Amino acid sequence: MSDAPILLDCDLLVGHDVTTGRWSRPDAVQEVLKSTGISGGLVTSLRAVHFDVPSGNAEAAEVAASNNWTACPALDLRDALGAERELERLLALPDETRPRAIRLAPTLQNVEPVYPAFGHVVKLLVAADLTVFVEGDVRTVSAPFRGIGARVVFLDTHFYHLGDFVVLAREEAGFAASTRMLTGPDSLEIVAAEVGAERLVLGCRTPFHETHSVVRRLLTSKLSPAEIALVGSHNLDRLLESA
Amino acid sequence: MIVDVHAHWGPWFFSMDVGSIDVNVDLLDRFGIDVQLVSAIEGIVYDAPAGNRSLAPHLDLDPRLRGMVVVDPRRLDEARADLTTYLAGDGRRRWVGAKIHTDYSRTPIDSAGMRAAVELTTEFGLPTLVHTWGPNVVDLADLAAQVPGARVIAGHMGASGWPLVARAAERCDRIWFEPCWSAPEAGRIRWVLDRVGPGRLMFGTDATLIDPSVAFGAIEAARLDPAEYAAVMGETATELFGL
Repeated sequence: MSDAPILLDCDLLVGHDVTTGRWSRPDAVQEVLKSTGISGGLVTSLRAVHFDVPSGNAEAAEVAASNNWTACPALDLRDALGAERELERLLALPDETRPRAIRLAPTLQNVEPVYPAFGHVVKLLVAADLTVFVEGDVRTVSAPFRGIGARVVFLDTHFYHLGDFVVLAREEAGFAASTRMLTGPDSLEIVAAEVGAERLVLGCRTPFHETHSVVRRLLTSKLSPAEIALVGSHNLDRLLESA
Repeated sequence: MIVDVHAHWGPWFFSMDVGSIDVNVDLLDRFGIDVQLVSAIEGIVYDAPAGNRSLAPHLDLDPRLRGMVVVDPRRLDEARADLTTYLAGDGRRRWVGAKIHTDYSRTPIDSAGMRAAVELTTEFGLPTLVHTWGPNVVDLADLAAQVPGARVIAGHMGASGWPLVARAAERCDRIWFEPCWSAPEAGRIRWVLDRVGPGRLMFGTDATLIDPSVAFGAIEAARLDPAEYAAVMGETATELFGL
């Protein structure tokens, strides 16, 4: 029996990163996970983020099933009506395939927090009791989630903005942050001390971000072993079970 | 032998508590870093001479610490005085390089002020670590080519501009690259190594702004062979900085 904590990455991507031209193939993701000790995680298709939501979400579901990962469908914030239809379809799926979480990518889709579609979709997701994983600068993309009981993980929280996240999280019980860029020497420790290690979720943006760096930061942190276990996988499990 | 060529001492203005030199020492101990080249945060973000003055006594606290004299390209008379003062006597054993930040000093690399600053540090025989971001990593190579005898290190290796490193390396053989970055894109260390060779890449952490685990993780992901590892982690820096 190993003392190593179970690790799950809440931020797996497959498909084409159109900003760099790089591709994520499932076998390459699997290789990174193996080399970093990650068991699996939550996967989204970039096809759904950039081009076509239904076929992209189908791709994510297929990849998840083939690799023993969990699918995280995306919605397109540029298309409020299409998002309504896709969410309705997803919620009508049988319980074993109905998603527990949805990913939003407002930055990649050039959608500002003040746009009507953003707030509308967020309200629908909260009403459906889904956990939301959202990309972008926590200082701005947090706005539509405030004051409505949202359960949300901010995937791109940078340690430069740690103070912004903490003051938000003090007021919003459902706010959590991915560990990806909380990489100052005391960032994870400050969040844990201020609002609890329950508010941190291991997220690496595998395979586009350097997963080794994110995992090392967590495993060499000054969090207790119990806290590392929470951040490594238990918090993600809890977020998906509660949905 | 592990040499961290890009590190800092002092408080940052973010929500973090890293101002004490004890933080540097703790990170050196925990990550097995043998030598760390530090510049004063105060010198970079506010007042170069005052920062250098504040750092000086701290360099005596741990034999692993070496100083980088911060040069503000807008205050070259004071920089000359600092270099004269700190390099006098046995000062070169304590101060081994210079640091110039492009953004905080509001001085583009392709400007007359930056060229004069590098001419000054070159006159004193110091390798100079220059903050690079995006395409200006190529500008730094061009600057090095224009200043006879200059030896420059591209801090952050251009960060998001890392795909331009190969082009920069071709422009001049007196530019080295240091890859620390809080948002490391996957695979860039291997990509750069395969194009510029291990003699042009040096290990840096950006501690105490960034936890060293981030840089170590990126190195781990690149799967260096023993000769590459020895060069990148210490040999090249030892020779360049005369450690």
